[in-house]
Amino acid sequence: MQIIELEAERLRSLRALVAGTLRLKWLRAATRFEIAAHRHGLALKYGYDPAQPRVPRGKPDGGQWTDAGGGTSRGDRRSPGLIRLAGEIPTGDSPEIPKKRPAKSKDRTKAKKTAARLLGQVGSTVEMVGAIAKLGAWLQTCSAEIESYRDTPKSLEELQRGASTPKPGYDIHHIVERNQKVYFTRETINSPDNLVLVPRLRHQEINAWYQTKNPDFGGKSPRDYLDGRSWAVQRAVGLQALIDAGVLKP
Amino acid sequence: MTQTSIQKMSVDELVDNFSASALRQFEAELENSVARQNKCVEEQMAIAAELKTRPGDQRAALLELYNHPNVQVRLNAARLSLAVAPTAAREVIQAVKESKQYPQAMDAGMCLWTLEQGILKPT
Repeated sequence: MQIIELEAERLRSLRALVAGTLRLKWLRAATRFEIAAHRHGLALKYGYDPAQPRVPRGKPDGGQWTDAGGGTSRGDRRSPGLIRLAGEIPTGDSPEIPKKRPAKSKDRTKAKKTAARLLGQVGSTVEMVGAIAKLGAWLQTCSAEIESYRDTPKSLEELQRGASTPKPGYDIHHIVERNQKVYFTRETINSPDNLVLVPRLRHQEINAWYQTKNPDFGGKSPRDYLDGRSWAVQRAVGLQALIDAGVLKP
Repeated sequence: MTQTSIQKMSVDELVDNFSASALRQFEAELENSVARQNKCVEEQMAIAAELKTRPGDQRAALLELYNHPNVQVRLNAARLSLAVAPTAAREVIQAVKESKQYPQAMDAGMCLWTLEQGILKPT
């Protein structure tokens, strides 16, 4: 019990440290930006315009301004008073994890993901189970999913071998997606070569990435972009997604 | 946020709306809402497109968000300003990838991969 409390305390301290460091960095950047904005504002106030014509080099007045066009009236140039920093002073990206089981599914999902991402830093399984209990006892019902999220990347052979023995907290993932059955046979899609066992929450992240519109794919979702493309292209994207999701060793 | 309202916004307002939209996307991801994420991506792409049409291509205004505390805001701002600040934007995307803050780290990794593969050609 003492270990559990110590671990929870360590996590709280770690979060406070991260948030504090983030805030200091933000304040330093904000100050530097505001100083730069102030200097820029002063330059505009005194009529500086780098595009204003000058007398050519070699003439008696070489380098001097040729007219009084310097200034403040170019298109979208912002006046110094309008310059302000985007966003509020940060307190960290992780929302609070409720002690009691939230009534809404979306709130439970949010808490589960937050816990999994936060507890990725915890050392042993025993420590993690204790930390889950401390964060919110209701999270114990999804401890398998949270624990599997901490898996380190594995080789393709390991992930493929795992697909033959499903276990709690994991899902079978198709490297080339199942919805491509129109173009490839069911046997090919479901062949052992195309199946891997991945942590459930990683699986959800990968699936969400496939479904979400993305400027990298011309504004289409990767799933729509890949629709109808060759097996080789789809497999290459599928394997790279597993690598970048932290599931497959590069 | 309609196309007409976007056209009436100042550059400052567009940047503010961009970061607000990326923060909504961050929340939507936590709640597993792909539909809301898609809406946010559409908003941000529309804002970036509008900034591009402004005199001098004002997408450079998104560079203000490269130091934003939220990882989703940093990633999206960098991705949608790759054409105007290729080196700085790539550095931000690379940093998000290396941060291991998932799923944004995955998205960043795939962004760099699509660049290498020539799938993404910033314009």
